[in-house]
Amino acid sequence: MTATVRKNPVVESPPRPPRRRPLPSVPRRIAGLWPYLLVAPTVLGAAFLLAYPVLRNLLISFQYFGMRELIRGGAGFAGWDNYREILGDTEFWEVVRRTFVWTAVNVVLIMVLATLVALMLQRLGRRMRMLVMSGLVLAWATPHIAATTVFQWLFQSQMGVVNWVLVRIGFDSFEGYTWFAHGNSTFAILVVLVVWQSVPFAAITLHAALVTVPEEIYESARTEGASAARIFRSLTLPMLRPIFGLVLCLEVIWVFRCFAQIWAVSQGGPNGATTTLPVYAFQVAQSLHRYDLAAAASTITVLLLVTVLIAYFRQMYKQEAEL
Amino acid sequence: MKFRLLACLSALAMTAGLSACGSSDSSGSSGGSEELTVWVMKDSVTDSYLDRFAADFEKRHSGTVLDIQIQEWEGISQKITSALASNDAPDVIEVGNTQVAQYAESGGVRDLTGKVGELKGEDWLPGLAEPGRTDGKQYGIPWYAANRVVVYNKDLFEKADIDAAAIKTRDQWTEASAKLNSGGTQGIYLPGQSWHVLAGFIWDEGGDLAVRSGGTWKGSLHTPEALRGMDFYRELQSHGKGPKDADEAEPPQAEVMGEGNVAQMISAPGVARAAVESNPELEGKLGFFPIPGKSADKPGTVFLGGSDLVIPETSAHPDLAYQVVKALAGDKWQTELATTMSYVPNRASLSGALKGTEGAKEMAEAAPGGRATPNSPQWTAVEANNPIKAYQTRVLTGGDAKSAAKEASESIGKTLNAKSS
Amino acid sequence: MSAATGTRPGRPHTLTGPGAAAAHGGTGRKAQAKRRHGRVRLRRRLRRLPLTVTALVVLLCSVFPVYWMVLTAFKPTGDIQSETPVFLPTSLTLEHFSTAVRADGFWIFWRNSLTVTLGGVLLALIVAVGAAFAVARMRWKGRRGFLLMVFIAQVAPWEAMLIPIYIISRDTGMLDRLSMLTLIYFMITLPFTIVTLRSFLTGIPVELEEAARVDGCTRAQAFRRVTFPLLAPGLLATSLFGFITAWNEFAFANMLIIKNQDDRTLPVWLSSFSNVFGTDWGATMAASTLFALPVLILFLVLQKRVATGMTGGAVKG
Repeated sequence: MTATVRKNPVVESPPRPPRRRPLPSVPRRIAGLWPYLLVAPTVLGAAFLLAYPVLRNLLISFQYFGMRELIRGGAGFAGWDNYREILGDTEFWEVVRRTFVWTAVNVVLIMVLATLVALMLQRLGRRMRMLVMSGLVLAWATPHIAATTVFQWLFQSQMGVVNWVLVRIGFDSFEGYTWFAHGNSTFAILVVLVVWQSVPFAAITLHAALVTVPEEIYESARTEGASAARIFRSLTLPMLRPIFGLVLCLEVIWVFRCFAQIWAVSQGGPNGATTTLPVYAFQVAQSLHRYDLAAAASTITVLLLVTVLIAYFRQMYKQEAEL
Repeated sequence: MKFRLLACLSALAMTAGLSACGSSDSSGSSGGSEELTVWVMKDSVTDSYLDRFAADFEKRHSGTVLDIQIQEWEGISQKITSALASNDAPDVIEVGNTQVAQYAESGGVRDLTGKVGELKGEDWLPGLAEPGRTDGKQYGIPWYAANRVVVYNKDLFEKADIDAAAIKTRDQWTEASAKLNSGGTQGIYLPGQSWHVLAGFIWDEGGDLAVRSGGTWKGSLHTPEALRGMDFYRELQSHGKGPKDADEAEPPQAEVMGEGNVAQMISAPGVARAAVESNPELEGKLGFFPIPGKSADKPGTVFLGGSDLVIPETSAHPDLAYQVVKALAGDKWQTELATTMSYVPNRASLSGALKGTEGAKEMAEAAPGGRATPNSPQWTAVEANNPIKAYQTRVLTGGDAKSAAKEASESIGKTLNAKSS
Repeated sequence: MSAATGTRPGRPHTLTGPGAAAAHGGTGRKAQAKRRHGRVRLRRRLRRLPLTVTALVVLLCSVFPVYWMVLTAFKPTGDIQSETPVFLPTSLTLEHFSTAVRADGFWIFWRNSLTVTLGGVLLALIVAVGAAFAVARMRWKGRRGFLLMVFIAQVAPWEAMLIPIYIISRDTGMLDRLSMLTLIYFMITLPFTIVTLRSFLTGIPVELEEAARVDGCTRAQAFRRVTFPLLAPGLLATSLFGFITAWNEFAFANMLIIKNQDDRTLPVWLSSFSNVFGTDWGATMAASTLFALPVLILFLVLQKRVATGMTGGAVKG
């Protein structure tokens, strides 16, 4: 119905050189349907497995939904009760604060280290560069669960190699130190783990962006007597900015939502020291069986994340408009 | 996908029809084979016991196949909940006695009140039968009970010249443990997060994990009595190399004991069997004594653990499932459980079977003083994200006991008072 | 773009290279030239020393955990438990691998993981090529809205949707089915795949396609014969990302496979290996190695293309 009323979108396209003429062999109306057919599977899939669950989740957050309701159904309407309960909980705000600290620490570390590594890669000889890149790729490709297991083994209190090294270089207090017993050290290990896993992607991407800058530009800047710092500021940085922004956003998303590693290492413990929002929502749902509260928590999580990333979406949207 | 759905529906309809006409006695269907899924917890009974049971059951009910699946304790509450909520749940599930109430309340478990007489329920151990009952209806059928004893390595005791039978008080116990803890030998392997053991020590001192007054719960780990219990735990724990940040399941303490250089561990007697299984050289070398109390006249208080069996509402073969429960809870397999696993059988009249089994006497000595966890359906939620474990680890790694206990108490109170929706 | 990565011709700082030094020395005084040459090279080496050291440190940091995992898997148990860690293998054993492989159901879980992952990724690729083509090459009403939806889908809170998706699977009879997991992995990887492929497509000059059509190809033919081959590296890169995401996924696999335990996937099984292998770190590391193996091999073999692919996708973003 709508398709017949609508003008052919091809004709309607913005004033660009008329690259795409409607094919003479295919009737116009069908040609106009093609894009819709092509995106149909995506839309259908997203409707069934993305939009519907999100809406369902939203619905649950406005219901009384516990173990009984999950098993037998018949959840009652709760209004804003769940939101009121969760927003009035001091623990929740503590978790929110921790999540932001977690995201900030990780993302800053990742971006700084990745930029440095990328700059270093650019200066390395070919063979050394390939070697380091292979190492990075190795770290990058190691599956989360395997990496998590390895880190637990590295930091094991009795036979772990980290304690051995620390004792060896003079920190005797690390003899048999139980890393996973303390909030701060567990948090630190998780940061190391996530940074270790994330730097390769960021570094390789940034490096790839760096080498798109022709070497001659650097040369001429250098012959004109620009200092290294200046070159970095007024040449490298502007070149890196768009891609830097993109990597930054991706890392924010990934770190903010990070769940598997935290859950596998500490389950949010000890004493909640590593409970970030996704872990919190999972605990509330799976341990306390308060699916309604968890749904409210995750709705708030999404809102927070979207707020943080609104600039990113805006830019994406603008870029699209320009195309 | 649509086809799948259809196939599923028709399969469901067929099984419903079958079970409707199947008699409650012997095999329900004489036609194609029916597969029954039974969930049993990790380390609850040995593989060989399960194999023998399955073979016997399949022989008696021709056309039935028992698929016995071992479940991990970690994340079990999520697992059972999603099973109960599914349309095709396992047919029989073993549930810890303190956890039955929660599932029964949720309405996902079959009411078996009508079968109590047939199962000789008047004789059941109260510690198993009562938690299985909600609002006067019986949902959980008692399976077995067990409490913790000290398992010791006879060789190592002999080498250190210590007589296990003479250990009657806490002081004697710590002294012996300290003496054993030398060279490559661990005096006692006590993981930092064995909270059931800690609970026993706290009860000995007259404290509790949580108390209820006027309808609200209060965590009570910070009371002077409870702090004394923790203090003893810390002392005992220091006479070995138990990891301060793990519980007895990780690594399984039976395996640690099996390595042969551990003089003692605290566990149900059945775990000693698993240790022997992992290291056959220990055969006959493991002995038992009750956990010592504060004075010689009374053994230490223990947590009375155990399991019930439940049948989910959505089991596709409720009648056959009941047959499984009936067999497991019946004389033959209960006696077998007592003799091979040293568990306390579900009925008092069967406890004669325990005579002559190693470890059982010691267990029975302590059983009368056995205690349970705070009686609230919310208690499982406390265990699921256990603040007691975190508290223990903090204290053992040098944290301030008082403030850590206070925090843990608050956390327990908060969880217990949360309204279950 | 693609040619720029990894294969960059020449190195930086070539002006101070050995050739320059040699040119200064006369032809007659070879020895002096050589000495001078050596000195310059030494100086250059010294100047680069901090850089080389940093590079080695980075290399060490990134490789060590993986090295340690593989090494532990091959070490005899005695070496694993020794007070002083053994950093270089003295003797190797396959014992841990055989323990891991013989563990109940290992191969079944391995196969399940592979099936589900490949299924999800392939499905996502096919669907994404279509969607990306529609977005990059066609003008239609709702295009911007569609793209925005895809961008937002990238931040979808998957862990939060466990319960709703559980309910949906239950109500459609899809619980305990690997096909449901495949569908979920398809949906998890799809947004990213579309975004990346779209960038690739916009990077391929549309004129190529048009030229083909002038030559008498239909639109589909033009796409298949001209654009598709150019798109291959992009497909490769995105599918690797999809692969690693799905290969890693734990929460859904854990939640949706309930009764059919033979349908569990490796991450679920591996997460409980402490219960499978107990204190046996050797076997644990062997299992982890086997788990990581497919991904590691794929990445190392396709390393250059992956890096290229990422840039192609990311720079255009």
